[in-house]
Formats: sequence, C-alpha cells, structure tokens
Amino acid sequence: MGWSVVIPLQVDPSVIAQGVNYVWILVVSFLIFFMQPGFALLEAGQVRAKNVGNVLMKNMTDWALGVLVYFLVGAGVATIVGGLTSSGGFDVAAAFSYIGDSGAWIDWLFGAVFAMTAATIVSGAVAERMDFRAYIVFAATITGIIYPVVQGMTWSGGLLSSGGYIGAALGVGYLDFAGATVVHMCGGVAGLVGAKMVGPRKGRFDANGNSQPIPGHSMLLAVLGTLILAFGWYGFNVGTQATVLATTESGGLEFMGAALGRVALVTTLGMGAGAVAAMIVSTSYQGKPDPLWMANGLLAGLVAVTGAVPHVTWWGGLILGALGGAIVLPAYRWTVDSLKIDDVCGVFAVHGVAGAVGTALIPVFAVSGFSGTQLVMQVVGVVVIAAWTIIASAIVFAIADAVFGLRVSEEEEEEGLDAGEHGVSVYPEFVGDAGPDGALGSPTATDGGSDVRTDGGVVKDETVEANGGDSQ
Amino acid sequence: MSDEADEQGIKMVMAIIRPDKLSDVKTSLAEAGAPSLTVTNVSGRGSQPAKKGQWRGEEYTVDLHQKVKVECVVADIPADDVVEAIADAAHTGEKGDGKIFVLPVESAVQVRTGKEGKPAV
Repeated sequence: MGWSVVIPLQVDPSVIAQGVNYVWILVVSFLIFFMQPGFALLEAGQVRAKNVGNVLMKNMTDWALGVLVYFLVGAGVATIVGGLTSSGGFDVAAAFSYIGDSGAWIDWLFGAVFAMTAATIVSGAVAERMDFRAYIVFAATITGIIYPVVQGMTWSGGLLSSGGYIGAALGVGYLDFAGATVVHMCGGVAGLVGAKMVGPRKGRFDANGNSQPIPGHSMLLAVLGTLILAFGWYGFNVGTQATVLATTESGGLEFMGAALGRVALVTTLGMGAGAVAAMIVSTSYQGKPDPLWMANGLLAGLVAVTGAVPHVTWWGGLILGALGGAIVLPAYRWTVDSLKIDDVCGVFAVHGVAGAVGTALIPVFAVSGFSGTQLVMQVVGVVVIAAWTIIASAIVFAIADAVFGLRVSEEEEEEGLDAGEHGVSVYPEFVGDAGPDGALGSPTATDGGSDVRTDGGVVKDETVEANGGDSQ
Repeated sequence: MSDEADEQGIKMVMAIIRPDKLSDVKTSLAEAGAPSLTVTNVSGRGSQPAKKGQWRGEEYTVDLHQKVKVECVVADIPADDVVEAIADAAHTGEKGDGKIFVLPVESAVQVRTGKEGKPAV
C-alpha cells in the first residue's frame, strides 16, 4: 500500500491523562478487592474445620455490609473529620455531596476498597469464638466510624496532615502512602482489642496460663491466601500512585514511570525481604523453616513498606520489609505469652506492629534525606492512630457485649460456630447415608425406618429415655 | 503384677468418646498407668439425638456423630482400672458421652523386639 494518514490530535491532553489515570484507578480498585478472597483463605486455613463457615461469613459481611455503610456514612465521616481537625471547617452537606455526584464515584470506590481491607483484618484475630451479631456491629462501626476517622485525620487533610492541627504545629504532614497504619495498623490494633475483650479460645491457655497450640485445619489455604493477598497488594501500593499520565505546563503529557517504578520495586523488595527474614527468624527459633511464619513474614514485609513505598530508597524498602518480617514471630510470641491475648491469625504482629515500625522509620530511609521533625511526626501519627483505634474499638466491643454478648456459649464453641451460628457444615461427612429426608428411604436405613434405635431398643430422638441398664 | 491382672490375660479396652474429651482421657490413662493407646476419628450413632444439617434451606438429618475411638491394650494393668479412668475422664452426663467395651486379646507381638504375649504389651 505504502501510504499513511496523519490524523492531527484535536483533543485536550488533560482529558487523555484523566482517562488513563481513572482506568488505572478502576483496575487497581478491582485488584484491591481481590485481597478479600486472599484474607478469606488466609483466615479460613488458620482456623479449625468446624469454624471455617463462620470465618467466611465474617469476611463476606466485612465487604458486603461494609460497602453499604461506607457509601452511606463512612466516606462522609472521613471528610467531616478532615475538616474538623484542620482549618477546613465543618460542612455536612459538602462532605456527603459524593452520594449524588456520579463524577465522584470512582474516587469513592477507590476509597472503599481500602476501608474494607481494614475491616476484614479484624475477623482473623477474633475467630472461632465471637458471636456473629456482635461481629456485625463491629464490622459496621469500623467501616462507618473507626476507619473513616483515621482516614479523615490523615488522607482527608485532617489532624495529622500538613494542614491539620498537629501537622501545622510541627510543620510537616504525616507520611503513610498507601495505609500501613491508616488501614493495616488500624485493623490489626482493632483485632487485638477484640481478641483481648472476647477472651482466648477454650484450651488456648492451660491452667497455668501457658499457651497451647490450636493448629489451623489447612496450611495450604493459608499460604495460598497469602499469595493471593500479595497479588492484590500490588493494587493497594502501586495503585496509590494513582497518576500514570501527568499534564506538563507546556500542554504535553508526561509518563510517571519513575514514580510508579519506585513504588512497584519497593513493594516487591519489601515483600521478598519480609518473607526471607521471617524464614530465617523462624528457623533459628524453631529449628526448621516454617511455611506459615514465612507467609506471615511476606505479609508483614508488605505492611512495613506500604506507607513508605514512594518515600524511601530501594535499599531502605528492603530493610523496612526485612524488619517487618523479622519482628512477626517475636511480636506474636509477645502477644500470646506476655499479653496472654489469643490473636488467632496473628493480625497484631503482621498488620499492627509491622505497620507501626515501617511507617515510623520512613524518615530514616527517605530519598529526600533524614528529617528529625518528620521522625517526630511519624511517631506522633502512629501513637494518635493507635490510641484512637484502641479507645473506639474498646467502646464498640463493649456495646456489642452489652447488647448481644461478645462470645458464643461454651457448648457452641465446642461444637463449632459453623453449626452453632449458621447451621451448616463446611466439610460434611456421611450426608449421603442419611439422605436429605433423614434415615427414611436411605439404603442404610435397615434398622427400623426413621426411628433410629440403639442396640438397647430405645427409640432415639426427643422420645428417647435414658439408655437404661444396657449402657456400659 | 497383681493377681487380678495375672488372671485377666491381655485385654483391649475400646472406648468411643467425645472428641473434646480426648485430651482428658489421655491424661487420665497416663495417670492410671496405661499411657499406650491408638486413636481413630470415627462417626457413629447411639443415644445422642440426631442433628439437623442445612443445605440451601433444605434440611437433612445428621445421625452419625463425630466421635473418637480410643483403643488401649493392657496386660499388667487391670482392664477395670482402664475402663474407670476413661469413664471418669469422658463423662459429662449428656447423651453422646460414648461407650466403653472390653475385649479379650488372643496374642500380641511387639514388632521391634519380637516379644510375644504379655511382655509385648
């Protein structure tokens, strides 16, 4: 053919940039949503088979109920708190204007997937013994109030940001890029409070107060969940670098490859370093490398760099990730052995401690060089977020305790929450033998139809009397 | 070796108990001097009422309850002591506590040493 047509570009480059950026934001929102199956598998694998359905219910509720609450309440609360704790002022109508503004809905979704991540962390700590109704109260509150207040104090320009009261007083804003403390430490600390208040699972501590292990039913699910979670985490961290194309002053477009690259690389190095560090620490502690510790370390490495990814050098991110991974085992042992808190999935060690340490140390490894003021701001920020989360969570769990009771009965805990709370069995056995109509009509029902008799001739069911003299 | 134990020969005490009582039963057996045992997850039916299971709103009957079978073969320790130890530790008073059976054992061989009969146990 040998001809070509040059079509002059008659469009506003800022529209192209906006389009590309928002497609990117949507894609990463979907990726962050994919952290939910990761959490579901991770937590399901770490509990006993009789409580898997309950864990899955909690994870689905966190997402499903959470998005409703965050749309109707949470996102507005964040903006209000942002205004109230800075010079931003107080305007309820403006804070909730997103509800009627379709132009704001992609940004709302981007915020929502972070909120739901904070909520879903808590279920791992309180697994296997918390009343489902009490948990629903907490899930609604963390997405409606507890997390939005943290978001308001940081990302929505409130208390800790450069324009907030504390930020302005110190002259710098709190750095937490994608939510190591805003999301993960908030969830991890709330989980610790919940686990403390609901009390340890029966049998977790012996009469002398020494911890007794309660192994989860599938390490395979736990590790698979970890890797799915890590996949979604790329959306969490790299997606927070939300600008792919920027418009330049001359009207052209600039690709933000360096910024995206730093975030993607530091996220990856932090993850790798965290896993390797946890492998080494668990080997020296237990004698052999432990898959669950390595999986926990991988996540802790991710948490540790989540606030730091655009701010630190590549080697700084590697060190932060390694610190996060190395600290998981000692932090978990301290939670269990010293605090005597039964944090089933170790969410405080993985999300709380790693988030606090990684975020506080950002100035030490900063690309822009060390700043003492920034370090003070980081420590203050971690303390403020942790303090708010502890107080607010304690109040909400106390209310849920007063209304429903935090804990299921001892008999139900023994039988399992799947049967007790939901009337299901995730791994049913011998169902085919009894048949959907009970023993009637089933090929094995040869001993008297539906009236199942014990060998002593006593009819089983409500009509059963004591098994009489034939019992051993 | 007591006279009673001398007379009894080798006995197998087979107990069906609640899974959550296994730990107590193990402790109790160790205290009774019969720590060796074999444990199996089993499902069975006795006097415990059937449970209702649910699948998408349709009910089904679960009349086979998950239990743990403990088998304990003794020669020197009277089987009655073992039965008592298990019964005490496994008792709750509710239907579904389980049953204990005592069976005669014809012979025994310890695989490692090749010992036969009572010394094998």
